[in-house]
Amino acid sequence: MKKKLTAITALGVAAVLALSGCGGGSKDAADGKVTLKMVESLTNPTRTETLKTLLAGFEKENPNIKVDLISPPTDSADQKIQQMLQSGKGVDVVEARDITIGSFGANNWLYDMSADLKDWNGWADLTDNAVKYSKQGDKTYFIPYGFYGLSLFYRTDLVKDAGFSGPPASWTDLLEQSEKLNQPDANKFGYAFRGGTNANSNAVAIIEAYTADQVDVENAFLLKDGKTIFSAPEAQTAMDDYLELFKKGSPPSSVAWGYPEMVQGFSNGSTSFLLQDPEVIATIKESTSIKEDQWSVAPLLVGPTGKAIQPVGTAGWGIAQASTAKPEAIKLVKYLSQGEPATTFTKENSLVPILKSAAKDPFYSEGPWAAYVKMNEQPETYISAVQPRTVSWWTEWIAKSDGELQRVITGKMTTKDLLASWDKFWTEKMAG
Amino acid sequence: MALNAEQEVVRGRSSAGAPPQTSYTRKKRFNSKTALTMLAFMAPAAIFVGIFTYYPMISGSQMAFRNWNLNDLSDTSWVGWGNFRTLFENPEFGTIVRNTIVWVVGSLVPQVVIGFALALFLKRKFKFRGAYQAFIFFPWAVSGFLIGMLFRWMFNAEFGVVNDLLMKVGIIHSPVPWLAEPGFAMTAIIIANIWYGVTFFAIMILAALQSVSDEMYEAAAIDGAGKIRTFFSITLPAISVTLGLTILLRIIWIFNFPDIIWAMTGGGPADQTHIITTYMIKITQKGDYGQASALGLIVVFTLMLFAAFYLMAVRPRKENR
Repeated sequence: MKKKLTAITALGVAAVLALSGCGGGSKDAADGKVTLKMVESLTNPTRTETLKTLLAGFEKENPNIKVDLISPPTDSADQKIQQMLQSGKGVDVVEARDITIGSFGANNWLYDMSADLKDWNGWADLTDNAVKYSKQGDKTYFIPYGFYGLSLFYRTDLVKDAGFSGPPASWTDLLEQSEKLNQPDANKFGYAFRGGTNANSNAVAIIEAYTADQVDVENAFLLKDGKTIFSAPEAQTAMDDYLELFKKGSPPSSVAWGYPEMVQGFSNGSTSFLLQDPEVIATIKESTSIKEDQWSVAPLLVGPTGKAIQPVGTAGWGIAQASTAKPEAIKLVKYLSQGEPATTFTKENSLVPILKSAAKDPFYSEGPWAAYVKMNEQPETYISAVQPRTVSWWTEWIAKSDGELQRVITGKMTTKDLLASWDKFWTEKMAG
Repeated sequence: MALNAEQEVVRGRSSAGAPPQTSYTRKKRFNSKTALTMLAFMAPAAIFVGIFTYYPMISGSQMAFRNWNLNDLSDTSWVGWGNFRTLFENPEFGTIVRNTIVWVVGSLVPQVVIGFALALFLKRKFKFRGAYQAFIFFPWAVSGFLIGMLFRWMFNAEFGVVNDLLMKVGIIHSPVPWLAEPGFAMTAIIIANIWYGVTFFAIMILAALQSVSDEMYEAAAIDGAGKIRTFFSITLPAISVTLGLTILLRIIWIFNFPDIIWAMTGGGPADQTHIITTYMIKITQKGDYGQASALGLIVVFTLMLFAAFYLMAVRPRKENR
C-alpha cells in the first residue's frame, strides 16, 4: 500500500512539474538537433510568413538546427518577450527594439555578441547606420534588420486640385494645405493627426524641426548646450503650431487615432496627409480607395530652420542571455543580417535597408522610396540624429507623454505646461 | 415530507436488508491510509494551484511593498507603504475610482435586465430555439480584446458604422466623436461591454429558469396569479440564489475586465476612461511593477470586502421551525 501511495504521489508531482516546466529549454538531445526558440515583436501575418520562409532557408543550410518561431500579437509582444527574458526560459533569439533594448540590456537579459561577431565578414556589407546601431554602448545586443524613418505621404491629386504647386515641404506648409483641404462636412480632412498611442512621436518631430539648429545629434532630446529641446522657446512655437494643425486641419476624432486609424484614414481617402514610416508604403499600395497615381511620398517636413531631424528608429535580432544554444543562435543572427535574407526582409516589410548594396537596387531609387533617397542625399537638411530610445525609462516616457499630449488636445492642459512637464522629466532623468 | 440525506441513506440500506452497523463500519474504514490516499490524489491539484495561483499572488504582494521597477532591478529595496501613498496621492486616482464604479454599474444593470429578458424569451419552446440560443451565446466565446478592436472601428467617428447608421436614420446630423470625448468614450465602452456580457446572464438565468418546477407555475395559475405576480412571486424567488451569485461573479469580472477598454480607448482620451485595472496596465507599461502590485492588492481587498458584504446581504434567511 505504501509503495502504491508513494507511486501515486510521485506521479502526481511529476505531472505537475512536467506541466510547469513546459515552454522552456532549447537543446533537443533526442535526435541531435538543436531547436532554437525565436520570438518576434512587430508581428503581422505577412511579415511572419516572410520570416518563416527565411527560417526555412536557414534550416536547409543548417540541417542540425530547427527554429520555432513564436509570434505574439504586436500589442502585447514586448511584454511577453520581457517576461520570457526575465524567466530565462523559452527563448533563444529575440527581436529587440530600440525602445526595449534599454531595459533588456540594463537587466542583463540579452547576450553581448561582441566577441562572437568580432571577425564577422558581414560587417563590411552593412551601411554606416547599421554598423552604428549595432553598437549599444560598448556592447552588441542586437544587429538591426532595417530602419524606420518618417516621411510625408500625400495625395497628389487633391494637393494639385487645391492649387498648390507641390506637397508641403515644411510644417507651416502642412498647416496651410491641411486647413484648405479640411472639409469636415464632406468627411474629408487634411492631416491624419496622431493623438492616440505613440502620439508623442510626431509632436517631438515638429519640436525637433523647430530647434534643428541647436539639436545635439547624439541625443536628439537635448540641445547642444545640454538643456532639453522642450525648454527652447522654439519648442513653444512648435507646439502651438501643432495644436493649430489639429484644430484647423485634422479630424476631431483623431484625438484617439493611433497607427491603424491614421493609415486607414489615408488609405481610404479620408485624409490628404500622413506622417509615417516607410512600412506604410506596402499597405497603401494595396488600397482600393486610392490608385497608385493619386499618392506619393515627400521628405520629412522642415521647420523654420529649413531643417528637419530624422529620428532613426530601428529593431533587430538579439540573443537571450539565458539561451543554452548561443553558437546556433549566433549563426541565425548572422544569416538574417546579410545577403539575400536581409534584403528580402527589408523589401517585404518596407524598411530602409541595412546593406550598402541596396542603394543600387531600382526598388529603392524609384517611386515612393525616392523621398528616402532624397533625404539621404541631403544630410545637412535632413539631419540624422539619435533619439534616446535605448534609455530604460523610454516606455515610461511614452506612457507619460501620450497621456499629456491628449490632455493638451482636449483642452485640459496648456502647451506651456506640457513643455514644462516634459522638460522637467528629461532634465531629472538625464541627471540620474 | 422530504428526507434529509442521512435518513435517505439509512432508509435505502434498511430496505435493501443491509446490516444496521454499515455506516459505522464505513466510518471506521476512514483511517490514516485512506487519508493519505486522498491526499495523494489531491496533491497534483494542490501543487498546481500553489505554483500557479498562490505563489504569484504572494510574490506579487511583496512587490507592492518594494521598489520594483523593471527598467532597473538593481535596487528593489523595501519602501513600506510608499507605493500605496503614491497611488492615493495621484490626482487621477479619484477619476479612476469613479470611472470604475460607472463602468461596473453602467455595464451590469443593462446586462441583468436584457439578459433576463433574453432568458425568458429563450425558455419558450419555438422552432430553431437551439440555433437562436447558439447565436445569442456567441459573444461569450469571443475574446474581450477582439471585441474591443471591433467596437473601436464601429465607433470610429469618420468611418465607423455606428455614426453612419445613426446619420442615415436621421438621429444625428453630424458625426459623434465617440472615442475622442470622455463622456462619449465612456458610453461607447459600456455599450460594448453590455453587448458582451448580456450573454452570460442569459445563459445563467436560462439554466436557473429551467430548474423551476412547472407545477409551481400551474399552482400559481390556478390561484389566479397574473404574469407580473407570477414573475415576482414565483420566478424571481426561485432563481434568487443563482441570480445573486451570477451578479456577484459579474461584478467581480467586470471590475477586473480591462480588455475592451484597453482595445477601444487605451484609457484615453487624456486618461479619462481608465478604470483601476486598465490603469494597472498603464503602470506596468511604465515598468513600475511595485506600484501596479499595490494597485492589484487594493483591487483584491476591495473585491473581497465587497463579496463578503454582498453574500451576507443576499444570503437566504433561515425559516423558523
